[in-house]
Amino acid sequence: MVLAGSFGPFAVMAYRQLRRFVRTRARVLASIINPIIWIVFFGLGWANAFNFPMAKAIFGGVDYLTFLTPGVTAMAVFTASFIGGVTVLWDKQFGFLKEVLVAPASRASIILGRIVGDSIVALIQGLAILALSFTIAHSLRPWGVLPATVYAFILALGFTSAGVVLALKITSMEGFQMVITLLMMPLLFLSGAFYPIKFMPGWMKWLAYINPLTYAVDGMRHYLAGVSTFAPLTDLAVLSAVTAALMGAAAWLFRRATID
Amino acid sequence: MAREPLNGGYAILVENLVKKYGKVTAVAGVTFRVMYGEIFGFLGPNGAGKTTTIHVLATLLKPTSGRAVVAGHDVVREAAEVRRSIGVVFQDPSLDNELTAYENLYIHGRIYGMGGEELRTRIEEMLRFVELYEFRGRLVKHFSGGMRRRLEMARALLHRPKILFLDEPTLGLDPQTRAHIWEYIRKLRAVEGVTVFLTTHYMDEAEELCDRIAIIDHGKIIAEGTPDELKRLVGTDVIYLKTRVNGSRNPCNALKALGVSECRVVREGLVAVKVEDAGRSLPKLIRAAEEAGIAIEEVSYRKPTLNDVFLHLTGREIREEGEGMKDFIRSVVIRRFRR
Repeated sequence: MVLAGSFGPFAVMAYRQLRRFVRTRARVLASIINPIIWIVFFGLGWANAFNFPMAKAIFGGVDYLTFLTPGVTAMAVFTASFIGGVTVLWDKQFGFLKEVLVAPASRASIILGRIVGDSIVALIQGLAILALSFTIAHSLRPWGVLPATVYAFILALGFTSAGVVLALKITSMEGFQMVITLLMMPLLFLSGAFYPIKFMPGWMKWLAYINPLTYAVDGMRHYLAGVSTFAPLTDLAVLSAVTAALMGAAAWLFRRATID
Repeated sequence: MAREPLNGGYAILVENLVKKYGKVTAVAGVTFRVMYGEIFGFLGPNGAGKTTTIHVLATLLKPTSGRAVVAGHDVVREAAEVRRSIGVVFQDPSLDNELTAYENLYIHGRIYGMGGEELRTRIEEMLRFVELYEFRGRLVKHFSGGMRRRLEMARALLHRPKILFLDEPTLGLDPQTRAHIWEYIRKLRAVEGVTVFLTTHYMDEAEELCDRIAIIDHGKIIAEGTPDELKRLVGTDVIYLKTRVNGSRNPCNALKALGVSECRVVREGLVAVKVEDAGRSLPKLIRAAEEAGIAIEEVSYRKPTLNDVFLHLTGREIREEGEGMKDFIRSVVIRRFRR
């Protein structure tokens, strides 16, 4: 009964996020251009530099583009989902949040619906990047797409939730800008998306180990490129645990949200 | 017109409501009751505690102390029941600009547990009610201020609330649009049978719409009653008689002899007379004055306004200066951050 009553709000919030995604084409384009730049300019540039006989050994036996593209796909999903979650801040700024908070629907179902909607949006963007990757990196494994998508979706759920948590805690637009620069770039560089973790200095390696994004990159790379640092099930376990915690935190904070 | 009262109670019952933000007291102990079917207004300057009161009644803020019962449910302990019974139009816009008018209502309906054919019919009904049906497929970001307000009203009424809260329903709108919105508010009470609680700092709005008004200042209710009752606080109508100046005779003496209780010479040739009802006493007064040999050249009269009431009670005007500027700055700020 409770579940049935909550499905309406849950589904319609997911629907809202997808609807907005379709409407704001410019933003969508901007968000996939960034990973494309990474793949084309950064990726192709280094791919030629790493084009010597021993180079593949650095990347676990694959060429650099095959190593990089799963990472950039994860990056696209990470960026889109995190920003998507943070847009709760805009809802706060422009009043839609009040409209939702005054509704009798379960707060958890509303925010979880939103998180799922934004995650689907992020996943679509990631898949677009992955499709492009297949045209450039020829050693990617097509059968790895499906399991990689599962990892990507869990990643999206986790970081959309993280974005929501931050948005509910941040009170100013300036704070938002700061979080973006102070959090997103280091998380990306410490995820092993661009270079293997095993060559990082010891202290940096530890930071990479506690970065949840690392496990998404690693898991997706395992299925798409056949290279990984951890066992895929370890990746899945860590990623799922972190995501569950973040979703729980987002739901908990949203339930207690007031407008002051 | 009015819906049946829940266990004989009030639509809104507030007792000693206090809301503090740290050391700042926004609402300093207000007590009032709103009957079902009524349009009740909170009139007061900005910062008087009007919006805070609405937020507490709408379960968005927890009161520091005191009690508020809305539609028979306590706003703290039975927030979910209260939420089911109310519709709210906030002071700041809360529509989804990237979606169409229809989608905004659809999402609202689904969040409120509506669906299917019932929801579709109701959306259409409400869109027609606020005359936005032909714009249903248009993105809200292309709507004018008046259209947004109307859409927000339609949205707030979609789930058939018993009580509708309107926080400054015509703030920042032009005079024509305001009159239009007033028409809807009157109409929605008649058609939907909803109880309306509104806040405003516009005298004319309170007078035009409200059955009863509470005047609020510095978080306290300083007067409450029907517009007429409130105006009676500052006294009665005032008639101004411009008379031909003829020497040293004081026309007040003659008028007082005719039974006028309060008469004052404003300056030579201008007399102010206080009466209960200017419209009714005027003909008698003129006849009497002429009979007493006072030659009247010009007559005018003034009825007290709610502004006079506020002035009388607080010694201040309700609208501070620079108000328009504040609205302007706000609209600029909002535009700047809009995606």
